[in-house]
Amino acid sequence: MSRTDVEHVTCREFVEVLTDYLEGGLDAGERADVERHIVICRGCSNYVEQMRSTIDLLGRIAAEAPAGEPATAALAIFREWQAGRSA
Amino acid sequence: MQPVAIPAGRRPDNEDEQALVAALRRGEEAAFVELVARHGASLLRLARTFVRDRAVAEEVVQETWLAVLNGIDRFEGRSSLKTWIFQILSNRAKTRAVRERRSAPFSALAGDGEDDEAAVDADRFRDETHRWAGHWAAAPADWSALPEERLLGSETLTQVHAAIETLPPRQAEVLVLRDVEGWDPEEVCAALGISDGNQRILLHRARSKVRAALERYLSEGATP
Repeated sequence: MSRTDVEHVTCREFVEVLTDYLEGGLDAGERADVERHIVICRGCSNYVEQMRSTIDLLGRIAAEAPAGEPATAALAIFREWQAGRSA
Repeated sequence: MQPVAIPAGRRPDNEDEQALVAALRRGEEAAFVELVARHGASLLRLARTFVRDRAVAEEVVQETWLAVLNGIDRFEGRSSLKTWIFQILSNRAKTRAVRERRSAPFSALAGDGEDDEAAVDADRFRDETHRWAGHWAAAPADWSALPEERLLGSETLTQVHAAIETLPPRQAEVLVLRDVEGWDPEEVCAALGISDGNQRILLHRARSKVRAALERYLSEGATP
């Protein structure tokens, strides 16, 4: 592997443009540079997978069981509001 | 039937939200119960990014519900019902957070993620004296080699929660809405009143920090 293969983007630059890349915010040329870098650089391809795992884990938080009490409190607010409205 | 151009993210709820608004205006309890079931847990998660104390966060959510009910007759449907509810929560939680921390130095509130922080510590990369300057000195590990229960276990989720709690508030709220609640960037910008560019910077900083925290946790006990 020659140095010029990865020179377009350094790893340090790569980690800063990753969100733009994942969000579809790069132009075609920049996207091609990033994708070429991922293919060539094991560290950065691991980094992308770590970021995808991180996003996946964040999504799992929403599936955790919510506490039941806030719903009861909300219902009390509703009934009070309703009583005031029809009064 | 031809598909109609409605902003992405609002499509599935739109008609159904109109029906909910109408039912709420008629004072139907079932409609309110449905609304709480849909958004209650998400509102509490977002409130907790502003006010860390759970009891205070719950109060903010309750205040939000009351404001929603009191304002429902005036709701004009210019944003989605969901966006409107979260705007109310966000404004109330911010006010409350300022009150809770008014004795704290201003800098504690100024942590908005505008500062120039790196996604990865500089010492992880080769320095300028090296011919591979800017490339990994200590490359990230392959997490797919980890046992699934290590990567996806409840202790790892606890670490994710802890990492979110250490984020500056604005980074935390964007991260929670985007990656925990799964909102579109447009919805997040509307609910929080921020530009798309700002939203992406806050998301980038927040995700990078949570990844770094997970990397520290997951590398514990790993044999070098």
